[in-house]
Amino acid sequence: MQTGSSNIAGRAIADEYTRPKGKDRSRRGGFGLDRVAVIVVMLYLLIPLGATLVFGLGGGGGISTFQRIFSDADFSQTLLTSLELAIGTTLLAIVLVTPTAYWVQLRLPRARPLLDFLTLIPFAVPAIVLSVGFLEEFSGTSGPLINTLSLGLVPFMSNTLNIINTGPLLVCAYVIIALPFVYRPIDNSLRAINTTVLTEAAYSLGSGWWRAFLTIILPNIWPGVISAALLVFSTVMGEFTIASLFNIYTFPIYLNDTGQNDPYKAALLSFLSFILTLLCVLGIILLVRGRRGGSAQQGSQVDIAGAR
Amino acid sequence: MQPQVAGSATETSITGGVGKATSRTRRSNGRGWSYNLTSWLGLVPFLLFCLLFEVLPAIIIIQGSFTENNTGKFTLNNFQRMLSLPSNVHAFGTSLSISIVTALIGGIVGGIAAYGVYALRISWLRNFLIGFSSIAANFAGVPLAFAFVATLGVTGFVTVAIHNLFHVDLYGVGFSLYQFWGLVIVYVYFQLPLMILVTLPALNALRPEWHEAATNLGASNFTYWRRVALPILLPSLIAATMLLFANAFGAYATAVALAQDSINLVPILISYVVNGNVTVDFGLGNALAVGMIVLLLIALSLYTAMLRRVNVWQGR
Repeated sequence: MQTGSSNIAGRAIADEYTRPKGKDRSRRGGFGLDRVAVIVVMLYLLIPLGATLVFGLGGGGGISTFQRIFSDADFSQTLLTSLELAIGTTLLAIVLVTPTAYWVQLRLPRARPLLDFLTLIPFAVPAIVLSVGFLEEFSGTSGPLINTLSLGLVPFMSNTLNIINTGPLLVCAYVIIALPFVYRPIDNSLRAINTTVLTEAAYSLGSGWWRAFLTIILPNIWPGVISAALLVFSTVMGEFTIASLFNIYTFPIYLNDTGQNDPYKAALLSFLSFILTLLCVLGIILLVRGRRGGSAQQGSQVDIAGAR
Repeated sequence: MQPQVAGSATETSITGGVGKATSRTRRSNGRGWSYNLTSWLGLVPFLLFCLLFEVLPAIIIIQGSFTENNTGKFTLNNFQRMLSLPSNVHAFGTSLSISIVTALIGGIVGGIAAYGVYALRISWLRNFLIGFSSIAANFAGVPLAFAFVATLGVTGFVTVAIHNLFHVDLYGVGFSLYQFWGLVIVYVYFQLPLMILVTLPALNALRPEWHEAATNLGASNFTYWRRVALPILLPSLIAATMLLFANAFGAYATAVALAQDSINLVPILISYVVNGNVTVDFGLGNALAVGMIVLLLIALSLYTAMLRRVNVWQGR
């Protein structure tokens, strides 16, 4: 899990694995510089990983460091908190975005620029800025302008539900952060299938909107949905910024606290984080690849998620 | 049975077509509005969510940056305070330079590496490299910071290895992971794979026919790159570099875990100002946040402008 990868990375990865592919092209051998660059980049990416594992195992007493980690109550407790947040965010993001993207594709193509705009905003409003906005919005002191614009929902949530600095509000913030790389793969998948024809065929056979969506469209865009879900999951497991401003004790915050005192333990925890990221991205590759059969040859694309 | 099904299907598709056609003509009169209204109703949950948790926080920050902390009156004081304190201006300088430097390194090296990945003939190796880039682009934040402490920290694996092999003490010759260039090294770790992922689709759109045509007209490999491929790719490359810039500019977790107290970046400054132990100054925090938003908007509008050019060129 990256501790907070950026949503920019998430979107690029989602794109890589869900974008409709063109035809294969023939390639010429390069002039050598490009090969050198590939090798340099791969070494740059691999060396810190290897070094982290060796450093973590070597410095603090080998395997027993792992035992120290697993017996730490804070470790399991923060991991559980992060898991709950990640599952909640994943479900909410998918449930919110998938029907919307389908609806826009089918009934309201004119709203597409609006959706593109709304899913691009998180690039201009980084997590640290968003969390400051949340702190002010839900502190219970919102002004008349905000109260009116939100149809009275903001004062209701902040005063009656007392939602500030709670898990549910954190989940809502994470859904916004995740928008760029949830919407894109799902939208890519919807464009790749013939949504209108499939839906009309389902209607003509007597199916309603929800049934057409759940039994016809959803199975066809499953790879995009899975990509989105795994990216959200991986991102939330590593998100640090908003959780720290909300004072919610999640796994990345535990990792940061630990790491300031014990670099060996931190190295092994970081390596565990990497394994989790690896599993999520592998899940995307394998599931999406499996669905695409031979056409997956050009490689698939995952959006770039992540909390930086 | 079969003809019946086929018949009904055609019938529906015809009526469907008619329905669409009529709805288009109806838009001018009253009933078109009800059709439009039900369509927009389907968007209400999503739009309401975005309003509450995306648009309103942004509005609050912009509104708050022009509001006095205690009185709630309109003021430019927050921006004045932001610009009059050298450490604030310095934070913007550091944030900007770290984003520009890492975007350029990532853009150039990552761009060339992307071509290397694209030109690979062995498809399993190419897929492996793309997959690994996806993982590395997602490996950021706190774990990345500690991975680099383990690698290039004072007692890090590579630091010690260089000392043992070449008898050079990195920290003795002025290097530090916890200063500007150390942070650059760490940021480049997530910029490089991101550049590869973002650039590959643009490379895939290069047509082999263009190279053949250029060669037929007598162009060398170098001329082809200088006169054909690079001009076509340039908008994509600039757009990708803008994304890298935005990516580094908003990064917070990595910098906090690595060098919270020794490097002055805007995101770190914001967290101090609104979450500090001593005083809380939301007015200044909002002004700093608006400064970030403005700079990011400039980068993103360049990004979308470049993408529009890509679309013109490549007919997407």
